[in-house]
Amino acid sequence: MKKDEKAIIRVVIATGISSVVTQLLTIREFLSQFQGNEFVIALLLFNWLVLGGIGTFFARLVSKYLLKASVAALAWLSLLLASFSPLQIFAVRVLRDQFFIHGSSVGFYPTLFYTLLTIAPYALLLGFVLPYSLFVLRVERPDYSGARIYMADNIGDVLGGALFSFLFVYFLTPMQAVFGASLLLLVCTFFLFQSDNRFSPLQLISVSAVFAVLCLGVFLEMSSLTPAEGKLVYYKESRYGRITIHQDHEQMTLFASGAPMFSNQNISMAEETVHYPLSQLNTVRNILLISAEGGMMEEIALYGAETIDYVELDPEMTSVQFQFGLLKKIPGLHVLNQDGRAYLAKTDKMYDAILISLPEPDTFQVNRFFTSRFFELARARLAPEGVLSFSMEGFDNYLAEPQRRKLSSIYNTAEEYFKHILLLPGQRVFYLCSNEPLRSDIPGLLAEKGIQTEYISGYFYGNLTRDRIEYVTGLIDRTISKNHDYAPLLMRIMFSQWFAKFSTSPTSFFAVLGVLWFVYFLRITREEFVLFSTGFMTMGSEILVIFAFQIFFGYIYFQIGLIITVFLAGLLPGAWAGDRYRVRGKSLLAWTDLILLVLLGLLACGLWAGGDRLPVVFYLTFGFAVSLACGFQFPVALYLRGGDNPAATRAFSADLIGAAFGTLVTSVVLIPYLGIFMTIFCLGLLKLTSVLVVVKS
Amino acid sequence: MKKIDRRHFICSSAALLASNAVPADAFWPFGDEEKNLAGPDDIRGTIFKGDAPEKLWKWSHEGFLYEKLPKKKVRCGICPNRCLLSPGDRSICRSKVNMDGVLYSLAYGNPCSVHVDPVEKKPLFHFKPRTRAFSIAAAGCNFRCLNCQNWEISQVKPHEVRHYELFPEDVVREAEQSKSLSIAYTYSEAITYFEYMIDTARIARERGISNLLISNGYINREPLLELCRVLDAANVNLKAYSDAIYRKLNGGRLQPVLNTFKTLHEQGVHFEMTNLVVPGYVDDDDLVKRMCGWILDALGPDYPLHFLRFFPKYKLDRLPPTPISTMKRFRDLAMREGIRYVYLGNVPGQDGVNTYCHNCKNLLIERQGYLIPTYNLEGKHCRFCNTVIPGRWETGDSVQEKT
Repeated sequence: MKKDEKAIIRVVIATGISSVVTQLLTIREFLSQFQGNEFVIALLLFNWLVLGGIGTFFARLVSKYLLKASVAALAWLSLLLASFSPLQIFAVRVLRDQFFIHGSSVGFYPTLFYTLLTIAPYALLLGFVLPYSLFVLRVERPDYSGARIYMADNIGDVLGGALFSFLFVYFLTPMQAVFGASLLLLVCTFFLFQSDNRFSPLQLISVSAVFAVLCLGVFLEMSSLTPAEGKLVYYKESRYGRITIHQDHEQMTLFASGAPMFSNQNISMAEETVHYPLSQLNTVRNILLISAEGGMMEEIALYGAETIDYVELDPEMTSVQFQFGLLKKIPGLHVLNQDGRAYLAKTDKMYDAILISLPEPDTFQVNRFFTSRFFELARARLAPEGVLSFSMEGFDNYLAEPQRRKLSSIYNTAEEYFKHILLLPGQRVFYLCSNEPLRSDIPGLLAEKGIQTEYISGYFYGNLTRDRIEYVTGLIDRTISKNHDYAPLLMRIMFSQWFAKFSTSPTSFFAVLGVLWFVYFLRITREEFVLFSTGFMTMGSEILVIFAFQIFFGYIYFQIGLIITVFLAGLLPGAWAGDRYRVRGKSLLAWTDLILLVLLGLLACGLWAGGDRLPVVFYLTFGFAVSLACGFQFPVALYLRGGDNPAATRAFSADLIGAAFGTLVTSVVLIPYLGIFMTIFCLGLLKLTSVLVVVKS
Repeated sequence: MKKIDRRHFICSSAALLASNAVPADAFWPFGDEEKNLAGPDDIRGTIFKGDAPEKLWKWSHEGFLYEKLPKKKVRCGICPNRCLLSPGDRSICRSKVNMDGVLYSLAYGNPCSVHVDPVEKKPLFHFKPRTRAFSIAAAGCNFRCLNCQNWEISQVKPHEVRHYELFPEDVVREAEQSKSLSIAYTYSEAITYFEYMIDTARIARERGISNLLISNGYINREPLLELCRVLDAANVNLKAYSDAIYRKLNGGRLQPVLNTFKTLHEQGVHFEMTNLVVPGYVDDDDLVKRMCGWILDALGPDYPLHFLRFFPKYKLDRLPPTPISTMKRFRDLAMREGIRYVYLGNVPGQDGVNTYCHNCKNLLIERQGYLIPTYNLEGKHCRFCNTVIPGRWETGDSVQEKT
């Protein structure tokens, strides 16, 4: 391997590492700045991949007419890319308040355009650099295999994913992580300049300037996070998101991923969350809390329970709540840092009350706590007279239609397992579920127990009048379907609610997308369609597997990270093998397509038979096998297309655009609207079309 | 490349050290104030072109006050938006349409929200305490408040909500049946269903039921004067004593609201004011001082002022709640400035919900939420010093007995 070639491959690998770290950080930054629902996550990934695909698509034209392929040009582009990483994170963080009103949430279309605007420079350049590297290599060796660049990129992607998921996320802030990942690219770029033997003062100054930008990012990180109201007294990037505490005078407010969760001064919410369910019980011995509200512990302490098991997924979250007095340590309290549903599934302990304080079910992760199987599980862990309690977003005077459907679906789902369900439309709409009769006169129940409250005793009779309780109960629609693990209806309703809040609809977006896809579809070759469909299926499968895995095993960060890694890891050996056996051509494409179909079938059968009984290794093996087949197809398809520069750019584009559509369509259309099995069927149908296209040709 | 000499090296090192000694914030170009000034300056609504329904429905009523213009255009005269509508257009508030040159309200007899609330919930603390208000709302609003707590009915069209059928006569009958002493036009924005409100209020007045306007106060003088003839009390939201904040967070203007207060004052209608303390926007001592100054100059010290604690809501959901100490500070500040009755809302368990005589400082009304365990008024007088307490207490004990 020549000196130049080595340096270029090193830059490609470093670009892969840097880009994956930047991508993951950008997603986290967006979740902290915008609504963190599945739609926003999918939209961001979609934009990222599509922009990458566009950048790739234009690489050939630009290299032909504007920027001839050369080592020096590649080095300059890589340098630019290294500087874009911190700038992109800052742009997402800072420009938000320039474009939108501070403190307000943002709807679908503004989010879409803001995403495109802020990530476009980086994502376009990133997409451009990969095929451009190949063109540079082909200046010296015209027969240089495109698959080798693909493999080098994959090595970088796997390393970047692993580095972030298992190292950076534990120890570094976003800007420190960007610094670490981009520094490697900067060093590789430095050597690329050197390999070109044209090292000049301008290059040295430019490399130094980019280094300064990276340092400046770390230096200014805390300033960029300082809130306009009060001051930032705590900041931590946990595995699950950003946790900050804002202090405004004596008030401490906990923000999780940019959204205020609760403060130490919201006594009314704490009272409602605790007393509505616990006042129903004659004796309270064991209580299970799945997440918590600020100030709850003092209220729970009034019941003198023997044990209070507080399950919180994120250890950083519990630690900070106790540190800043948002939650008090009370006798009998046990903190368990694990997934609430996973805990319920494995514990034998019986509880008098299970109190759930989770956000709205607008993500796959939270939806699992409001499904039929979850309610069955909760009932099994409740004492005969026990109470399950949880709440949904409240309404003041009118129950809007999407929310009515949401409340109805949950009601109908819970009713299967509980004889009595009482809805209390307080600040949030509280569900009390039990197999014993429930009373709505909470102040009366509290008076019988001699418990004094500040909010409930004074405000309950005005805010929760009999007519208001009857109003919400009377509006429950018994015809609305139940929410199931495999078919998350609630997420679909949450999407509707989100769109209703901003008086908008995604119809135009999907219509434009459909037209663009159709135009693209008419212009691509058979081999590109195979790559498109495989990219679509691979990303779709990855989302499916993560979704299914969470249902059965809970949100276990390490294992989810492993799943994402194996979905990348298989690409490399797959591409290596594909490059070796590519001469067998079409039949290999057809066979790998069939293998992908079989894999989808196996996934469907496994989940149908009982996903919770499948070992973790099943999911990991499935991910690896899918990515292996996906990686295998790339060099074969490229070979069939002739392997020249135009073919390479189009192949890279097809893979990226397929992945983009797979991400978006699976996350926000297929799973929420059709459920898991129909999603598998649709992905299989797409792959079957691909088989037919190959066989027919 | 040019070599760096010793002087340059020392100067550069000194600059680097100095920069490290200065906090990073000093280099950060986006300050806190800029954050709140950035973003769109004006979120005022626009009319909905060609959005009127094809034909009128049962709950339509010709507009109370509007101007007919050439080419069958009309200009609504109810609120300062003064929507100019071509045939087929819908107003900013979403409830008025131009149907072939005639302005119609689509919110007449079709309330989407009907509840019976304690009058204290409006909030009205100086109006017939311990009584209930039959409360109704129809869809629509002439503002676009980012923190609206009733956005499900205020930011939608009348056709988009479930509704009851209660024409004015029915509303009054229902109010009587629920033993409410008042009818409150509330929740969404009563000004947008002005025709429905005023017709109901006229009947209610004849039957001895009070009329309460709970509103953003964004109304023109002429319809307000008409309303004042049958109005008994109002709670008007003074969102911020800043036109910039009105435009930015609420999609309205300040001056028309101030005019509303003056008109109510001139007409002798009892009213109370609410001010939502939004962190980062309205929680400014100078702003509160200026607001109090205007109130004292224009309206006097006797109208109760309620500071409401902000909680993240609707689109303004990424701000923390208002600290309780800020609420208390504003109450103290407003009382020091000279306003006699200042209350705190959305803050349970605080002293700021009780009424104290402005003369002798004794506790007149103790409130525990909506419960009133202590009541030291005799008629409209302080039981301790006989000072007249501003408000509508005329029913006094008899009201308490009734309820």
